[in-house]
Amino acid sequence: MPQAGKGRLNYRCPACFMRDLDIDMFYDREKKEFYCIRCPFTGTEEEVIHLNEMARFRYKNLTKRIKTFD
Amino acid sequence: MSKFILNIIHRPEMVPEYAEKITGHGRAEDIQRKSLLTESLDIFKLQQEIAHQNGFKTTIQMTYASLFNQEAIDLAKEHHKLYGDEIGLTLLGLPCKEFREKYRTKDFCIWMFSMEDKKAIVADVFEKFHEVFGFYPQSTGSYFLDADLINHIKREYPSVICAVATCWEEGPKAYHTTNNSWYTLFDGGPWNPWIPSKANSHVPAAHEGEDSGIVAIPHLSRDLLACFDGNGSNFGTHPQNVLRGMIYKDGQYPYLYNLIDQYRSLERFNGYAYNMMFVGPGWMNKMGRWEAPYELLVKSYRDCMAYYAELKRAGELEEMTMSEFADWFRRNRGYTQPECALWSDILYGSRKQLFWYCDPYMRTCLDMNQCGAMIDLRPYVARLDWPVGIGTRHVQDASYPFLIQSMYRAGFFTHYAGEGTIKSLKVSYEGEEVDLCLCRTRAHYEQTGSTRTITLEPVEIAFRKLSLKITTSFAFVEGTGEILVSRRITDMSDPTARVGLNEYMTACYGTTEYPEDMTGIQLKAVGHSETKEIAYGYMCREEQAAPIRAVEALVPQVSTRVSMLPVGRNMTGYIREGYAFSPMFTLGLCAELGDGEEMTTCLRLEKAD
Repeated sequence: MPQAGKGRLNYRCPACFMRDLDIDMFYDREKKEFYCIRCPFTGTEEEVIHLNEMARFRYKNLTKRIKTFD
Repeated sequence: MSKFILNIIHRPEMVPEYAEKITGHGRAEDIQRKSLLTESLDIFKLQQEIAHQNGFKTTIQMTYASLFNQEAIDLAKEHHKLYGDEIGLTLLGLPCKEFREKYRTKDFCIWMFSMEDKKAIVADVFEKFHEVFGFYPQSTGSYFLDADLINHIKREYPSVICAVATCWEEGPKAYHTTNNSWYTLFDGGPWNPWIPSKANSHVPAAHEGEDSGIVAIPHLSRDLLACFDGNGSNFGTHPQNVLRGMIYKDGQYPYLYNLIDQYRSLERFNGYAYNMMFVGPGWMNKMGRWEAPYELLVKSYRDCMAYYAELKRAGELEEMTMSEFADWFRRNRGYTQPECALWSDILYGSRKQLFWYCDPYMRTCLDMNQCGAMIDLRPYVARLDWPVGIGTRHVQDASYPFLIQSMYRAGFFTHYAGEGTIKSLKVSYEGEEVDLCLCRTRAHYEQTGSTRTITLEPVEIAFRKLSLKITTSFAFVEGTGEILVSRRITDMSDPTARVGLNEYMTACYGTTEYPEDMTGIQLKAVGHSETKEIAYGYMCREEQAAPIRAVEALVPQVSTRVSMLPVGRNMTGYIREGYAFSPMFTLGLCAELGDGEEMTTCLRLEKAD
């Protein structure tokens, strides 16, 4: 396989993001998957998007507008 | 009318950070690439257009590279004339052909150069600015400016009255997030504007003699809770930072507005509120940033500016240029006036609160999820001479050292071997012991004269045979470097019982997660009739004296003496050395209290020499 490159968007590794690491993934065109250069994560674009949704689990106020502070 | 001041800053960065990548896209590095220059200027134009459409004037901080670009120069002049934008000069954005040819380096962070190079670069950049515009700027900045650099700039270019001088808590956490590659190590500074001292730029000046001559502003206004724990670059008044943190859903980011509104709410502590917005062009580049496409990057910028504009129309916001703000700040703020922030979690959905306090003598933080335990303490009183850059002992590490930092040094301890840095209270009764770190509560703020008091809602302690409540308050007396901590016992299930109180502080020193050598630290328990001392040697020793006058630690590595003193009653004091696996020291004051009684102690910070 020729060398990997960046995909359509700069997807970060969802596994690393959840441990506060921003690491761009690279894209393997042959296997049609993204992979992390630090940890062993691999995933399709759909999987990455799904996992990025999961990564938001800690933001319980993600959609809440707060206007009072005491 | 409320006073919420906004600084909007844009910079024409001809080689925007992030836009030029030499790996992954199959192109060799070329910082003169035509498309890169065109795109960068287009982003600057777009940012300016969005601000002006919303009725805002901005501060244009020209980069060195942009001073060689006629279009950028003409735009700045035109916008100054049409919109009243201030033309300032940033020390960010140094990389360009001219800079690299002259300095033969890819370094780009002004604080990391040798002092000799700093002076040469400042002269180059300021004189080029003067050549182009015919005057010297009133504002400058970088991600960080060290004291030596500020003093030099002020000496050579006294027109400068305002500077971007730090990114709040951008230290080891940012380094970690970037896979240990982003060397912006400058934790420990103020989060809101301040007048830096001549000795150390993190430390606010206490009087005119210490005044560096500029008003410093932080790069962005950051979430005072999320940034203390996580990556600073996810939680600030920078829309694309919020996208970086994935804090959006379906193209909506209420968190960004919650953050702005919480900053507005800080007016009740400080008499004014402040926001700073400064988005580098690279964050709005056509390739998108990480998962966010260009369209969302731009939308978030437009939306944020539109919200500020809505506030302005409602009479709730006033935008100023940097120099205007510096003038306002000097007219309205005193040197010893502290900056306070009782900050609530607005992201995780908890009721967690932190209280931040910053004055010329200390910066500290109390955690109400741990009954007001002190989780961060920086002894500004020491005014550390801490030169940074090549040729100094701190090439990259520009952080102001801590005595307590619960994230880097464990805090309340949850495993069996050792201790973490924290200041809290232990309560004991018939062989049982409870640390108030395990009591969650909420705080209320009050100012009486020059004293700011945080009072916590009472917490309940349940022993097997006794229950009681404890109400804690912290009084910060302006201009003293002292905090008075009071613990009042009430509601004892057995009004005749006596409980033991141990007000303690476990500390060390450092700027990162990694331990430092504790050798040289002197611990002292000064009693009324005897004094016990321990010269730190990792030998796990402990001494005590009663009645006690003070327990103290002299930490020569950070020129600080920290002590705890009893107030209004006799107490026993103890000092405890750590060991190699637990490189800490502990100071403690103990007393026995009954129902309705109170124990008050004083935490004092002093410069050691």
